[in-house]
Amino acid sequence: MEMKELIEYIAKVLVDNPDDVRVTELEGKQTSVIELRVAKEDLGKVIGKQGRTARAMRTILGAASTKIKKRSVLEILE
Amino acid sequence: MPTIEIEAKTTEDAIEMACKHFSSTEDELNIEIIENKSTSIFGIVGSRKVKIKATPKTDSAVLIARDILEKILALMVVDSEISAEKKDNTIFLNIKGNGSGILIGYKGKTLEALEFIVNKAVNKAYGKKIRVIVDSENYRQKKEESLKDLAFKTSEKVKKTGKVAIINPKSPYDRRIIHLALKEDPYVQTKSKGEGLFKKILVIPKRGS
Repeated sequence: MEMKELIEYIAKVLVDNPDDVRVTELEGKQTSVIELRVAKEDLGKVIGKQGRTARAMRTILGAASTKIKKRSVLEILE
Repeated sequence: MPTIEIEAKTTEDAIEMACKHFSSTEDELNIEIIENKSTSIFGIVGSRKVKIKATPKTDSAVLIARDILEKILALMVVDSEISAEKKDNTIFLNIKGNGSGILIGYKGKTLEALEFIVNKAVNKAYGKKIRVIVDSENYRQKKEESLKDLAFKTSEKVKKTGKVAIINPKSPYDRRIIHLALKEDPYVQTKSKGEGLFKKILVIPKRGS
Protein backbone atom coordinates (compact mmCIF):
# COMPACT_ATOMS: atom_id res chain seq x y z
CA MET A 1 0.00 0.00 0.00
CA GLU A 2 2.81 2.40 0.78
CA MET A 3 4.24 2.11 -2.72
CA LYS A 4 1.12 3.63 -4.18
CA GLU A 5 1.24 6.51 -1.73
CA LEU A 6 4.93 7.04 -2.38
CA ILE A 7 4.39 7.51 -6.11
CA GLU A 8 1.33 9.63 -5.48
CA TYR A 9 3.25 11.96 -3.20
CA ILE A 10 6.21 12.33 -5.56
CA ALA A 11 3.94 12.95 -8.55
CA LYS A 12 1.98 15.57 -6.62
CA VAL A 13 5.02 17.64 -5.72
CA LEU A 14 6.18 17.66 -9.34
CA VAL A 15 3.05 18.55 -11.28
CA ASP A 16 1.06 21.75 -11.73
CA ASN A 17 -2.30 20.03 -11.19
CA PRO A 18 -1.88 17.82 -8.12
CA ASP A 19 -5.62 17.20 -7.94
CA ASP A 20 -5.49 15.35 -11.25
CA VAL A 21 -2.95 12.80 -10.06
CA ARG A 22 -4.43 9.29 -10.06
CA VAL A 23 -2.53 6.25 -8.91
CA THR A 24 -3.77 2.68 -8.95
CA GLU A 25 -1.99 -0.42 -7.79
CA LEU A 26 -2.50 -3.84 -9.32
CA GLU A 27 -1.16 -6.22 -6.76
CA GLY A 28 0.27 -9.52 -7.88
CA LYS A 29 1.89 -12.28 -5.88
CA GLN A 30 5.40 -10.94 -6.21
CA THR A 31 5.10 -7.97 -8.46
CA SER A 32 2.73 -5.09 -8.27
CA VAL A 33 2.13 -2.72 -11.09
CA ILE A 34 1.64 0.90 -10.17
CA GLU A 35 -0.16 2.97 -12.73
CA LEU A 36 0.22 6.72 -12.70
CA ARG A 37 -2.09 9.10 -14.51
CA VAL A 38 -1.63 12.86 -14.57
CA ALA A 39 -3.17 15.79 -16.41
CA LYS A 40 -2.14 15.90 -20.06
CA GLU A 41 -0.05 19.04 -19.67
CA ASP A 42 1.78 17.50 -16.71
CA LEU A 43 2.88 14.39 -18.56
CA GLY A 44 6.22 15.96 -19.39
CA LYS A 45 6.77 16.85 -15.74
CA VAL A 46 6.59 13.24 -14.54
CA ILE A 47 8.60 11.89 -17.47
CA GLY A 48 11.25 14.57 -17.70
CA LYS A 49 13.99 15.26 -20.19
CA GLN A 50 14.95 11.93 -21.76
CA GLY A 51 12.81 10.19 -19.15
CA ARG A 52 15.05 11.29 -16.31
CA THR A 53 12.25 12.04 -13.86
CA ALA A 54 10.48 8.78 -14.64
CA ARG A 55 13.76 6.93 -14.15
CA ALA A 56 14.35 8.65 -10.81
CA MET A 57 10.86 7.66 -9.64
CA ARG A 58 11.47 4.06 -10.69
CA THR A 59 14.78 4.00 -8.85
CA ILE A 60 13.18 5.29 -5.65
CA LEU A 61 10.30 2.85 -6.05
CA GLY A 62 12.79 0.03 -6.59
CA ALA A 63 14.68 0.88 -3.41
CA ALA A 64 11.47 1.10 -1.39
CA SER A 65 10.21 -2.21 -2.79
CA THR A 66 13.45 -3.99 -1.93
CA LYS A 67 12.85 -3.03 1.65
CA ILE A 68 9.52 -4.87 1.74
CA LYS A 69 10.93 -7.70 -0.40
CA LYS A 70 8.65 -7.13 -3.35
CA ARG A 71 8.96 -5.94 -6.89
CA SER A 72 7.08 -2.93 -8.18
CA VAL A 73 6.80 -1.63 -11.70
CA LEU A 74 5.80 1.91 -12.51
CA GLU A 75 3.71 2.56 -15.59
CA ILE A 76 2.95 6.09 -16.66
CA LEU A 77 -0.32 6.15 -18.60
CA GLU A 78 -1.55 8.76 -20.98
CA MET B 1 20.28 30.67 16.12
CA PRO B 2 23.13 33.08 15.59
CA THR B 3 22.33 36.70 16.32
CA ILE B 4 24.36 39.82 15.69
CA GLU B 5 24.04 43.37 16.84
CA ILE B 6 24.93 46.13 14.44
CA GLU B 7 25.32 49.85 14.89
CA ALA B 8 24.99 52.20 11.97
CA LYS B 9 23.86 55.66 11.07
CA THR B 10 20.56 54.61 9.56
CA THR B 11 18.33 51.57 9.88
CA GLU B 12 18.83 50.85 6.17
CA ASP B 13 22.59 50.77 6.56
CA ALA B 14 22.34 48.50 9.55
CA ILE B 15 20.04 46.07 7.74
CA GLU B 16 22.32 46.05 4.74
CA MET B 17 25.27 45.18 6.95
CA ALA B 18 23.28 42.41 8.59
CA CYS B 19 22.30 40.98 5.19
CA LYS B 20 25.94 40.97 4.16
CA HIS B 21 26.95 39.30 7.37
CA PHE B 22 24.53 36.38 6.87
CA SER B 23 24.75 36.51 3.06
CA SER B 24 20.98 36.57 2.82
CA THR B 25 18.22 38.98 1.84
CA GLU B 26 16.26 41.25 4.16
CA ASP B 27 13.13 39.10 4.25
CA GLU B 28 15.20 36.13 5.38
CA LEU B 29 16.11 37.93 8.59
CA ASN B 30 14.26 38.86 11.75
CA ILE B 31 15.20 42.42 12.52
CA GLU B 32 14.65 44.14 15.81
CA ILE B 33 15.53 47.75 16.46
CA ILE B 34 17.01 48.15 19.91
CA GLU B 35 18.11 51.75 19.82
CA ASN B 36 17.24 54.66 17.64
CA LYS B 37 18.92 57.72 18.99
CA SER B 38 19.01 61.03 17.36
CA THR B 39 21.22 63.86 18.50
CA SER B 40 20.03 66.14 15.78
CA ILE B 41 17.98 69.24 16.17
CA PHE B 42 14.85 69.26 14.02
CA GLY B 43 16.31 66.33 12.13
CA ILE B 44 18.71 68.50 10.20
CA VAL B 45 22.10 68.47 11.80
CA GLY B 46 23.89 66.11 14.13
CA SER B 47 24.29 62.38 14.03
CA ARG B 48 21.97 59.46 14.45
CA LYS B 49 22.77 56.11 15.87
CA VAL B 50 20.70 53.04 15.22
CA LYS B 51 21.34 49.71 16.82
CA ILE B 52 19.63 46.61 15.49
CA LYS B 53 19.58 42.96 16.30
CA ALA B 54 19.38 40.56 13.38
CA THR B 55 18.59 36.86 13.49
CA PRO B 56 18.20 34.72 10.39
CA LYS B 57 14.80 33.08 10.06
CA THR B 58 15.04 29.41 9.34
CA ASP B 59 15.12 29.63 5.61
CA SER B 60 11.87 28.64 3.98
CA ALA B 61 13.61 26.83 1.13
CA VAL B 62 15.49 24.73 3.66
CA LEU B 63 12.24 23.89 5.41
CA ILE B 64 10.54 22.93 2.15
CA ALA B 65 13.47 20.77 1.06
CA ARG B 66 13.69 18.98 4.36
CA ASP B 67 9.94 18.44 4.54
CA ILE B 68 9.74 16.90 1.06
CA LEU B 69 12.65 14.56 1.66
CA GLU B 70 11.28 13.58 5.06
CA LYS B 71 7.92 12.66 3.56
CA ILE B 72 9.43 10.63 0.74
CA LEU B 73 11.60 8.70 3.17
CA ALA B 74 8.67 8.07 5.48
CA LEU B 75 6.71 6.63 2.56
CA MET B 76 9.72 4.47 1.69
CA VAL B 77 9.41 3.14 5.23
CA VAL B 78 12.88 4.30 6.13
CA ASP B 79 13.53 5.70 9.56
CA SER B 80 15.55 8.78 9.06
CA GLU B 81 17.00 11.80 10.67
CA ILE B 82 17.75 14.67 8.34
CA SER B 83 20.03 17.56 9.04
CA ALA B 84 19.77 20.58 6.80
CA GLU B 85 22.15 23.42 6.15
CA LYS B 86 22.22 26.29 3.66
CA LYS B 87 25.37 27.74 2.19
CA ASP B 88 25.18 30.43 -0.49
CA ASN B 89 22.56 29.14 -2.89
CA THR B 90 22.84 25.50 -2.01
CA ILE B 91 20.94 23.41 0.50
CA PHE B 92 22.74 20.44 1.96
CA LEU B 93 20.52 17.68 3.27
CA ASN B 94 22.23 14.89 5.12
CA ILE B 95 20.35 11.71 5.91
CA LYS B 96 21.65 9.95 8.93
CA GLY B 97 21.38 6.40 7.70
CA ASN B 98 21.14 3.12 9.52
CA GLY B 99 24.14 1.87 7.56
CA SER B 100 22.13 -0.40 5.30
CA GLY B 101 22.93 1.62 2.21
CA ILE B 102 19.37 1.26 0.96
CA LEU B 103 19.18 4.99 0.36
CA ILE B 104 22.44 5.02 -1.55
CA GLY B 105 21.81 2.18 -3.95
CA TYR B 106 24.07 0.68 -6.58
CA LYS B 107 26.76 3.25 -7.41
CA GLY B 108 24.75 5.92 -5.59
CA LYS B 109 21.80 5.63 -7.98
CA THR B 110 19.11 5.91 -5.30
CA LEU B 111 20.74 8.91 -3.67
CA GLU B 112 20.99 10.57 -7.07
CA ALA B 113 17.31 9.87 -7.79
CA LEU B 114 16.24 11.31 -4.42
CA GLU B 115 18.35 14.38 -5.03
CA PHE B 116 16.92 14.86 -8.50
CA ILE B 117 13.30 14.64 -7.32
CA VAL B 118 13.87 16.89 -4.29
CA ASN B 119 15.62 19.44 -6.50
CA LYS B 120 12.70 19.57 -8.91
CA ALA B 121 10.11 19.75 -6.15
CA VAL B 122 11.94 22.45 -4.18
CA ASN B 123 12.51 24.63 -7.22
CA LYS B 124 8.83 24.35 -8.02
CA ALA B 125 7.61 25.10 -4.50
CA TYR B 126 10.15 27.80 -3.71
CA GLY B 127 9.93 29.62 -7.03
CA LYS B 128 13.56 30.70 -7.03
CA LYS B 129 16.43 28.67 -8.41
CA ILE B 130 18.23 26.85 -5.66
CA ARG B 131 20.41 23.77 -5.60
CA VAL B 132 19.83 20.86 -3.26
CA ILE B 133 22.45 18.27 -2.45
CA VAL B 134 21.39 15.08 -0.70
CA ASP B 135 23.96 12.99 1.09
CA SER B 136 23.81 9.96 3.30
CA GLU B 137 26.52 8.33 5.38
CA ASN B 138 29.09 10.66 3.81
CA TYR B 139 28.72 8.87 0.50
CA ARG B 140 29.09 12.01 -1.59
CA GLN B 141 32.18 13.13 0.22
CA LYS B 142 33.81 9.74 -0.17
CA LYS B 143 32.87 9.65 -3.82
CA GLU B 144 34.29 13.11 -4.40
CA GLU B 145 37.56 12.03 -2.86
CA SER B 146 37.77 8.92 -4.99
CA LEU B 147 37.02 10.93 -8.14
CA LYS B 148 39.74 13.43 -7.30
CA ASP B 149 42.08 10.54 -6.70
CA LEU B 150 41.23 9.14 -10.12
CA ALA B 151 41.82 12.56 -11.68
CA PHE B 152 45.25 12.96 -10.11
CA LYS B 153 46.30 9.43 -11.00
CA THR B 154 45.25 9.92 -14.61
CA SER B 155 47.12 13.20 -14.83
CA GLU B 156 50.25 11.49 -13.47
CA LYS B 157 49.90 8.88 -16.18
CA VAL B 158 49.55 11.55 -18.85
CA LYS B 159 52.65 13.34 -17.60
CA LYS B 160 54.66 10.11 -17.76
CA THR B 161 53.52 8.91 -21.16
CA GLY B 162 52.84 12.24 -22.83
CA LYS B 163 49.72 10.72 -24.38
CA VAL B 164 46.04 11.52 -24.05
CA ALA B 165 44.24 9.42 -21.43
CA ILE B 166 40.52 8.70 -21.34
CA ILE B 167 38.38 8.44 -18.22
CA ASN B 168 35.23 6.30 -18.51
CA PRO B 169 31.87 8.03 -19.05
CA LYS B 170 30.71 10.01 -16.02
CA SER B 171 27.66 12.01 -15.06
CA PRO B 172 27.79 15.82 -15.31
CA TYR B 173 28.23 16.15 -11.56
CA ASP B 174 31.12 13.71 -11.47
CA ARG B 175 32.73 15.27 -14.53
CA ARG B 176 32.65 18.65 -12.90
CA ILE B 177 34.64 17.33 -9.94
CA ILE B 178 37.29 15.89 -12.26
CA HIS B 179 37.52 19.03 -14.40
CA LEU B 180 37.86 21.18 -11.29
CA ALA B 181 40.47 18.88 -9.75
CA LEU B 182 42.72 19.29 -12.79
CA LYS B 183 41.92 22.92 -13.51
CA GLU B 184 45.02 24.20 -11.74
CA ASP B 185 47.28 21.50 -13.18
CA PRO B 186 49.81 23.30 -15.44
CA TYR B 187 50.69 20.19 -17.44
CA VAL B 188 47.33 18.87 -18.56
CA GLN B 189 43.98 20.11 -19.77
CA THR B 190 40.65 18.29 -19.69
CA LYS B 191 37.79 17.99 -22.13
CA SER B 192 34.49 16.16 -22.18
CA LYS B 193 33.75 14.01 -25.19
CA GLY B 194 30.61 12.19 -26.26
CA GLU B 195 26.91 12.55 -26.60
CA GLY B 196 24.14 12.59 -24.00
CA LEU B 197 24.32 12.89 -20.25
CA PHE B 198 27.27 10.61 -19.72
CA LYS B 199 30.45 11.75 -21.41
CA LYS B 200 34.03 10.56 -21.40
CA ILE B 201 36.75 12.83 -20.11
CA LEU B 202 39.95 13.34 -22.05
CA VAL B 203 43.04 14.30 -20.13
CA ILE B 204 45.34 15.97 -22.62
CA PRO B 205 48.99 16.95 -22.11
CA LYS B 206 49.59 20.64 -22.67
CA ARG B 207 52.00 21.46 -25.46
CA GLY B 208 55.40 22.90 -24.66
CA SER B 209 55.46 21.57 -21.14
